[in-house]
Amino acid sequence: MSDPALDAKLEVKQASKEVKESENVAEKYSAMTVSKNSDMSMGELSSAFSAVPTHKPVKKQIQFVEDKQEFSRFPTKTGRRSLSRSISQSSTDSYSSAASYTDSSDDETSPRDKTQVNSKGSTDFCVKNIKQAEFGRREIEIAEQDMSALISLRKRAQSEKPLAGAKIVGCTHITAQTAVLIETLVALGAQCRWTACNIYSTQNEVAAALSETGVAVFAWKGESEDDFWWCIDRCVNTEGWQPNMILDDGGDLTHWMYKKYPNVFKKIRGIVEESVTGVHRLYQLSKAGKLCVPAMNVNDSVTKQKFDNLYCCRESILDGLKRTTDVMFGGKQVVVCGYGEVGKGCCAALKALGSIVYVTEIDPICGLQACMDGFRVVKLNEIIRQVDVIITCTGNKNVVTRDQLDRMKNGSIVCNMGHSNTEIDVASLRTPELTWERVRSQVDHVIWPDGKRVILLAEGRLLNLSCSTVPTFVLSITATTQALALIELYNAPEGRYKQDVYLLPKKMDEYVASLHLATFDAHLTELSDEQAKYLGLNKNGPFKPNYYRY
Amino acid sequence: MAEEKDQPGATFDDQPLPDVYPEPHTENSAVLNGEAEEDTSAVTTEESTKDQSVKISPNLLEMLKAAESRRAPQDQDMAKAEPSETETEEMVTEALRQQRWASSQGADMAKWDSWGSNPAFKEPHWMQIQLTDQKQEFNKHPTKTGRRSLSHSISQSSTDSHSSVDSDSSEDGSSPRDKLQKTSKGFSDFCIKNIQQAEFGRRAIEIAQQEMPALMALRKRASGEKPLAGAKVMGCTHITAQTACRWAACNIFSTQNAIAAALAERGIPVFAWRGESEDDFWWCIDRCISAETWQPNMILDDGGDLTHWIYKKHQSLFKKLKGIVEESVTGIYRLYQLSKAGRLCVPAMNVNDSVTKQKFDNLYCCKESILDGLKRTTDIMFGGKQVVVCGYGEVGKGCCSALKALGAVIYVTEVDPICALQACMDGFRVVKLNEVVRQVDMVITCTGNKNVVGREHLDRMKNGCIICNMGHSSTEIELTSLRTSELRWEHVRPQVDHVFWPDGKRIVLLAEGRLLNLSCSTVPSLVLSITATTQALALIELYGAPEGRYKQDVYLLPKKMGKSSA
Repeated sequence: MSDPALDAKLEVKQASKEVKESENVAEKYSAMTVSKNSDMSMGELSSAFSAVPTHKPVKKQIQFVEDKQEFSRFPTKTGRRSLSRSISQSSTDSYSSAASYTDSSDDETSPRDKTQVNSKGSTDFCVKNIKQAEFGRREIEIAEQDMSALISLRKRAQSEKPLAGAKIVGCTHITAQTAVLIETLVALGAQCRWTACNIYSTQNEVAAALSETGVAVFAWKGESEDDFWWCIDRCVNTEGWQPNMILDDGGDLTHWMYKKYPNVFKKIRGIVEESVTGVHRLYQLSKAGKLCVPAMNVNDSVTKQKFDNLYCCRESILDGLKRTTDVMFGGKQVVVCGYGEVGKGCCAALKALGSIVYVTEIDPICGLQACMDGFRVVKLNEIIRQVDVIITCTGNKNVVTRDQLDRMKNGSIVCNMGHSNTEIDVASLRTPELTWERVRSQVDHVIWPDGKRVILLAEGRLLNLSCSTVPTFVLSITATTQALALIELYNAPEGRYKQDVYLLPKKMDEYVASLHLATFDAHLTELSDEQAKYLGLNKNGPFKPNYYRY
Repeated sequence: MAEEKDQPGATFDDQPLPDVYPEPHTENSAVLNGEAEEDTSAVTTEESTKDQSVKISPNLLEMLKAAESRRAPQDQDMAKAEPSETETEEMVTEALRQQRWASSQGADMAKWDSWGSNPAFKEPHWMQIQLTDQKQEFNKHPTKTGRRSLSHSISQSSTDSHSSVDSDSSEDGSSPRDKLQKTSKGFSDFCIKNIQQAEFGRRAIEIAQQEMPALMALRKRASGEKPLAGAKVMGCTHITAQTACRWAACNIFSTQNAIAAALAERGIPVFAWRGESEDDFWWCIDRCISAETWQPNMILDDGGDLTHWIYKKHQSLFKKLKGIVEESVTGIYRLYQLSKAGRLCVPAMNVNDSVTKQKFDNLYCCKESILDGLKRTTDIMFGGKQVVVCGYGEVGKGCCSALKALGAVIYVTEVDPICALQACMDGFRVVKLNEVVRQVDMVITCTGNKNVVGREHLDRMKNGCIICNMGHSSTEIELTSLRTSELRWEHVRPQVDHVFWPDGKRIVLLAEGRLLNLSCSTVPSLVLSITATTQALALIELYGAPEGRYKQDVYLLPKKMGKSSA
């Protein structure tokens, strides 16, 4: 890891993985909005494919992105990196309520070239169309209803203004849910400038609504890579305003500041990073001794992890399968590859509907847990002939191979809940003897010469991102965690955080959870003084040692 | 599972064991040798309890009080049955109850007959512990800082599973210390009850082996390499069929004599028999350590007694150790204290907190034993019953999922917001106990805290409400508050008490607020297998680790080892 050459390689590798990920998101958007604009980002090459509907073979799209980078003249030195790095699911937005329906405007001029003014006369923003603000405001209000935790945080802390004086630059998906977060930060006293971490994920009307309220937002849906970096730069580089906090998702903003504005970067009081990739990059920086500010890794906080993986997937597996295939689960034989948090969620959901669930696992502890939870632990080969559904959630590659696909029975369903699209060896299905038939969006029938059909969902990409949505409640957990991390970093006494990457303190994590308890009308019991003394705990937490496994 | 956190003082420092060990008693030496001779009347016991209580730590005092009041109904029983007050009689009474308890185990039906005619019975675990406390009154050994119970085990799997074997049938009054026994190989470096029981014990070990596949697999896998060649392991654990490895007993009652015999027969020096006195206990440990020409270099401990003994008595030996493997919460607590004080000069491995063990001891084990325990004691039907589970840690999660599966309506109380949120997402209502206490049919505590259910809650419960404890120690339910004159206690069957309020309301209290899963259920062999395997792996890891990997501190078992155990 310390070898720079190796590092670079690693980064590239990571990046290429990310490219696939970003394609995922991209395609999802294009699928949802059926707009002409969806081709825009494909650049010149896309014209060649214009006859093909939005869903192209994955492999080719990946090449697209790589190709596209040739056209981007921006001098990135460290090799190509994809524009969206988010792996963590909740950072990839829930589009359900707000599938940018306002996007159909045929306005071809880039927002960069337009000058827009909001109602207060400010021009310090760059969005698609400021007139959509009204629309966006409604979206934000809808989102607020499901994000009561942030609202109550707003209420509780409004008088103290814990973020007074904080100047936060943010780089996240810009959606209604993020908007609630941004407005909470503003309500707590912070000044914010915001940009998008993904070129496709911005909800234009939400960006407009934010700009209208005075938050400087630089983002629109369908930016080019060049636009992307331009937005980041505009966000950071403004006269009379020096950021002192960073909220990042993917590490692009951090990287840009680190490279371009080292002097500003040094004065930053803290970085809050959400995605796996971004955290990975921070750790690399820290290892190399080049991280000169404290950073906080919110991705691995207990509450967020549980919700991103276990609870979120438990719901979206059913949702995704139902939406795409209308399969009936009772009595179906399902094999779930991997019994981590995601696998546990999938198994629990399927078992509840009466499926017969098998588990494959490489880790003996997880294997044993599966046994104790009443699932048969098998090798995929042993049961491949008899199962009706295969769900992969290992995080590994080529878990389901061509060899196994060949032996599946007619009509069986294959899908991926893990991460990226490597788990199912889809490339091996792209051979001339197999016929692919697109039956509906995200559903392909692959037909063998003997007439056998295998139903492949979302072309082996993440089912929960492609065919389902992330509930606002889960995003609320993430957003609250981010807000508390910012507050903690900003208010921490000198010296508590050194120049390193930290996890969110347990107490804050517990606070995130307690803010969400109101949703369930849950009443927390309080320790009596005597009990607290007996347990040797503070009455207000933290309640568990750091190594506790929830 | 920290049932013995209620002895917070049990550290190396503030509870130093007497320096004068081992010494013969000066007085009362007749009652030295085990329960068979514990023939003083129960009344005396109570008196002496009171006499001593001043010096005892408050928690222990509470326990003693509980024990004392437990005696009371027994005495009544006996008075009805037969006015004789000998301990033996009491044991018979206990034994009769025991039979009922054991009947559902069905583990070894063939032994029933012999049980019936045997006065010295195996008793439920908790009963034993309390007896221990009382017995200590007889034991006049000059412990200075109050008494500690001899059984330290906290982790469930370290506490016995007696189901398959009971070997206490020999009514041989003479202490094993005074006997000289030899194995068939002429080996005499051991001290157990009766070497002739070896055959029987071997069979029991074989039965246990069938249920402990992991350990057997490990044995097979590693016997080629002999990763412990040269290691001189010294252990102090419960000696039951499942542990079946090593030598001094950490609990004076948990030894299965036959097993000890079988081990001795195999040439492993074992110093343990069922019903040791405290003096015997330390004598055994000492014999275990100070063999000539044999210096231990590894310790496997459960409760920290052995470690403590070596630390105090054989400093030079202690320094040469390659590692300590400690199983119980108490022992670990003591190790951490030692480590904090900078006096731990060898690496120690904490196997109690290894993933596999935690999951199995708590989540999976309790998931099964809550139903088992409740069914055995009350024959309740769970469907549609409203249950409140206090605490949603591993134990609470296990209880909730088991009860939910049977159709109970479950409420959860929790102090930790993260756990509370988990409960919400798993579909349980999170409430305060006050809000639901009037409507629930059952209260299960598993918080690890004290006084979770207070008298004010108990007063408001509805008629017939069942209350039990799955957490740790007997502190969770505020029992002392029920020992008042206006409430009438009725012992309806073993482990089940009915408490009547003046208005006729009846509350069903299980196991007198002690651990339900230890008192009214058993620990499955599979779970013990996990523990034993973990211990063995920890020993191998410590012994085989390259110089310098482990410094002088307390470590958790490496994750990889935990996995291998699974």
